[in-house]
Amino acid sequence: MSFEGLPRGSAAKKQSFLERTYFPEIIRGLVVTMRHLVKNILHTSEMPTMQYPEEKRVYGERFRGRHRLMQREDGSPRCVACQMCSTACPADCITIEAAEHPDPEIEKYPASFQIDLLRCVYCGLCEEACPCDAIRMDTGIYEIAADSRSSFVVDKDFLLNNTTEGTL
Amino acid sequence: MAKLTIDDQEYEFPDGTSLFEACREARGEALPHFCYHPDLPVAGVCRLCQVEVEGMPKLTIACNTTVRDGMVVHTRSEKVNKAVQQILELHLINHPVDCPICDQAGECGLQNQYMQYGLYESKVEIQAKVKKHKAKVIGPYVILDMERCVLCSRCVRFCNEVTGTGELGIFNRGDRAEVDVAPGVELDNNYSMNTVDICPVGALTSRDFRFAKRVWMLKSAQGVCPGCATGCNVRIDHEAGRIYRLKPRYNPEVNGRWMCDRGRMTYKQVHSERRLLTPLDGGKDVTWAAAREQLARMLEGKPPALAVVSPHASLEEMFLAVKLAGAEATVSGPANLDREDGDDLLLDADRTPNRRGLATLGIPELQSGALADRLRAASGPVLVLGGDPARDEAVAGAMEGREGLIFVGDHDGPTAQAAQLVLPAAVWAEKAGVFVNRMGRWQGFQQAVARPGAVRDGWRILAEMLSLTGAAPAFESLRAVRRGLTAKVLPEGELDMDRMPEFGFMPAGGER
Repeated sequence: MSFEGLPRGSAAKKQSFLERTYFPEIIRGLVVTMRHLVKNILHTSEMPTMQYPEEKRVYGERFRGRHRLMQREDGSPRCVACQMCSTACPADCITIEAAEHPDPEIEKYPASFQIDLLRCVYCGLCEEACPCDAIRMDTGIYEIAADSRSSFVVDKDFLLNNTTEGTL
Repeated sequence: MAKLTIDDQEYEFPDGTSLFEACREARGEALPHFCYHPDLPVAGVCRLCQVEVEGMPKLTIACNTTVRDGMVVHTRSEKVNKAVQQILELHLINHPVDCPICDQAGECGLQNQYMQYGLYESKVEIQAKVKKHKAKVIGPYVILDMERCVLCSRCVRFCNEVTGTGELGIFNRGDRAEVDVAPGVELDNNYSMNTVDICPVGALTSRDFRFAKRVWMLKSAQGVCPGCATGCNVRIDHEAGRIYRLKPRYNPEVNGRWMCDRGRMTYKQVHSERRLLTPLDGGKDVTWAAAREQLARMLEGKPPALAVVSPHASLEEMFLAVKLAGAEATVSGPANLDREDGDDLLLDADRTPNRRGLATLGIPELQSGALADRLRAASGPVLVLGGDPARDEAVAGAMEGREGLIFVGDHDGPTAQAAQLVLPAAVWAEKAGVFVNRMGRWQGFQQAVARPGAVRDGWRILAEMLSLTGAAPAFESLRAVRRGLTAKVLPEGELDMDRMPEFGFMPAGGER
């Protein structure tokens, strides 16, 4: 491979006086800015900026928001603690402890179910892996804020009730 | 010898070899099967291991056929594959497919063979399946889920042939057939959890391991059971610093494919609340730095006046104790401790893993009175390595109020209470080492889990004590300790302890 014939770097190019003052380029840049300013003032409705949080973007139905745990008819978790979700999870953010359910028909249930929302990458593999449709990411909640790391680790009760309390 | 052709390749096997084993060797993997088990009599009930033998009108099951000269066998033909698939479908007809809540998932014969040979659509609706009892407790360690059972009868044969206790049987016929315990009987022998191991599906599962962990999350290390002098080879299944179960590891010279229930529960002592986690000086938690200073003050640059070595210590630790205190001042005992009833299968009356190691290194074992006398006679600091000799009354009496007692051990107890300085040492699953079993077989074990708290490897603690006495050479690695050990008790070049043979090492003239 040869570099001959390729243009040399800018260091080699001799700059004119005007170029060295930068003024023409600054003015050209300001023209672009002013053009957008005038355009946006005249056509505010076409502006791409949204007035968040007064105004919120509408996402598609399949948008993956914060998880929720589905309930059985009696309000207990549908989850059977098979841990397919935590196995599939690439971020290792789901921790489940299984226990014996008093109802022999159910047999196994999650004694604890925790998701570390700071670790979660919202890929949706957990809901895809779930054989019982027990975990879903259809809440549409994406505003997740808290003032301590520990409050991002949400537990079974939080996920079952799917509220915005605790974190936000 | 019989010459036969398996899948267009010629092989030679001794007469009487099972065709199943011949095919396993020829194919590099076993034929699909449920009921065949190399250590149990042939039942021939699952019909999965069918192969095509030229000259025979129908397919034949390999497990109940012996090799014959001139046989031509096909194991991968279309006819065979179709038969396997159809029989597998039959096995799965009434199976509940409750893999999400089944502990066997991940190591299940139905799952694996369905993925490899089956892949058919089920023709039976879930509602139409025959319902049987689920989650029935049939013994202290075993729980039975009859819906998952494929009636291979391995568990029944195990209880009839290996333990001879015969608790299990198959009742009723057809698709109502069930494995169960006879009325009023429990599956309560000391080998009951082997039925869990040999159950190819999730019908028999362990109550101890129930729902504790999914099996694919576990990592394994090779261990040796510390429960008795037999030294069954085990697989330590652990995750995130916690041991979840012990499974037998095949060793034809020691335990075959079995181990006892008592042995399986020995992992619990690793996570016991009685574990010593920090050095204790006069009963108070101290740092290792402070403990080291205290140790130096107690030893005053001299070896301890007496070392009492427990048969629970590894061979490497025993060797270092002899190095430290000298052959005359190293004893073990009291000899009456850790002896209970054994049986004629695997469980030995001697409940320590390494008593034969004491003999290997020439450490005498004293009775409790003699040991108490030695303790009283010793002037200067005394090292107690492992175990808990003060469980014996006479020894406890000799230790009481005695100054300069250094205990390198793992569990709290009378010895730790009596000791002036306690140094927390690793237990078997937290260190690498060698136990010598009752036959004299050297068996190596690996470290499975991390040491908790401030616990340190026993050989490191002893090597540091050695360096405090100014002895040469200093042992800076376990490898160096092992070299010193083999040089002392074995002919040169006979064994590299870092590369222990798979089934252990038997020194010349070892068996007694």
